[in-house]
Amino acid sequence: MAAPVNNSSGCWRVPEVYKHHEQRRVCISRPKYREGRKAKAVKVYTINLESRYLMVQGVPAIGVMTELIQLCALYGAVEEYRPLDEYPAEEFTEVYLVKFQKLTSARAAKRRMDEKSFYGGVLHVCYVPEYETVEDTRLKLQDRRSYVIRAAQKREDTQEEPSSSETTTMSDDNILTHKQTSGNDNTRETSNVSHYLGFPPLPLPPQKHHYHRPKSQHLPTEDKMGTLHNTCAGTFEQREGSSRSKQTLLSRQAAHQAAAVRFLPRTTHLEKRKRKMEEAEEPSSTVSGQNEPLIGPKLPEPSKLDMEDESLNTTVSLIRNTMKQVTSSPDIKPVEKKVKPRRRI
Amino acid sequence: MWRSGSSGGSDRFEYLQTLVTEFQDTDSDEAKEQVLANLANFAYDPKNVEYLRELQVTDLFLDMLTEENENFVEFGMGGLCNLSMDPECRDVILQSDGIRLVTNCLSSRREETVLSAITTLMNLLTPVSRSQITDPAILQCMLRFSLSESPRLRNLATVFLQDSCSEEQVAQAQQQMEGQQMAVGIPLPKD
Repeated sequence: MAAPVNNSSGCWRVPEVYKHHEQRRVCISRPKYREGRKAKAVKVYTINLESRYLMVQGVPAIGVMTELIQLCALYGAVEEYRPLDEYPAEEFTEVYLVKFQKLTSARAAKRRMDEKSFYGGVLHVCYVPEYETVEDTRLKLQDRRSYVIRAAQKREDTQEEPSSSETTTMSDDNILTHKQTSGNDNTRETSNVSHYLGFPPLPLPPQKHHYHRPKSQHLPTEDKMGTLHNTCAGTFEQREGSSRSKQTLLSRQAAHQAAAVRFLPRTTHLEKRKRKMEEAEEPSSTVSGQNEPLIGPKLPEPSKLDMEDESLNTTVSLIRNTMKQVTSSPDIKPVEKKVKPRRRI
Repeated sequence: MWRSGSSGGSDRFEYLQTLVTEFQDTDSDEAKEQVLANLANFAYDPKNVEYLRELQVTDLFLDMLTEENENFVEFGMGGLCNLSMDPECRDVILQSDGIRLVTNCLSSRREETVLSAITTLMNLLTPVSRSQITDPAILQCMLRFSLSESPRLRNLATVFLQDSCSEEQVAQAQQQMEGQQMAVGIPLPKD
């Protein structure tokens, strides 16, 4: 019938430069009330534009592919990656294609990594849906549709039965932000995720944000493009308020505590980093941090993140530990880092 | 809970209302584009959908489809693509003769607009609307897109042809197309 589906050879085509890869010019003429936290271009995001395939441009050509993929893996399991050698890159930089297992991970990675400096370069991260296969596209749409329908149903019977889909989104938060999962959440997490392989019933762009932001500034401020990536605290409060049954309340509190823990770690992190710089001679203290005096709440235990697969879990903790070391020293010293004997590829 | 329980909800509603008001009051096309893009992005989050429906943003988006300004069309179409995932919004769009307006966007020169239109049409599928959405003319259009150079367009059109209609319908449309060789007239999106 239709379509030459045959040339959907996925990742292995010669890449083309599409217009949506370009970084659009930031809009500077917005009035105050529509100004977000970050300068953004005028652009509309739809499910068509999103994808679990990301392209990372501006990676310094100094052999840091492993480091890049490790960084990506912080936001979720990476299924495939490869350098896009044929893709036009700026001098001394490389371009990579990264395929995440889940769209939510790609979304988190894009938000966190785009325009961030990385070994002296500035990354530009964008979705590259043109690498999707027909099946990828179909699943993406189906998942999105069922997510919206579930959200709509939830809206209808909010009062009576607030828990099920909420916890669903909660548990996604868990996955995405590597926060501590309470025992309660764990069971649900497993059951829920299995239904939506590759695209959990995610709560939109917002989720990973409560991760770093101090709790206090949590008025629902949407960013310029009208997305509410930043409005999670509000959501948490709503959830709290609406919970009636004891059990859900309990698990919520657990979750909320974990969330609260996650609101602060930035400071802890900075403290730690400072201390690290002061006593740079004692490298062993970095890894565990067990002997250190406790200042404020602890960072979430990364090892508790459950990828539902033993080998993935091992990889995650390995990467996490390495990244801890990498990020805890200021990233303005790429030279030093290069000298370190960490190169594996 | 979305609306009543939390002050966050009503803040959001007021904010969206402010946006709609600005859109209606301003004479600046630039401001309109920005607000339109804002609203379309808000439509991505199911939490806002109810407010947007209440503010009749669905109709606002539909109005944009007949504008001259291609940005208006693209953003309006993107907003509809986001909103139409929601069953109630879908019904509102269907009642406002949305299929015809969205179908017209299939001939846009902008790929993003065309992609949003295809996804929206799939979202608008109901037992009642099916016959209109699987009209031979639309299927022919999809057949053509499924041969496109652009992988995104090709994939999406393929999904449409595989999921939204029967194989007989596709075969029929293909025959008709060969018979009249008319599909050549439909311009493909440029970028």
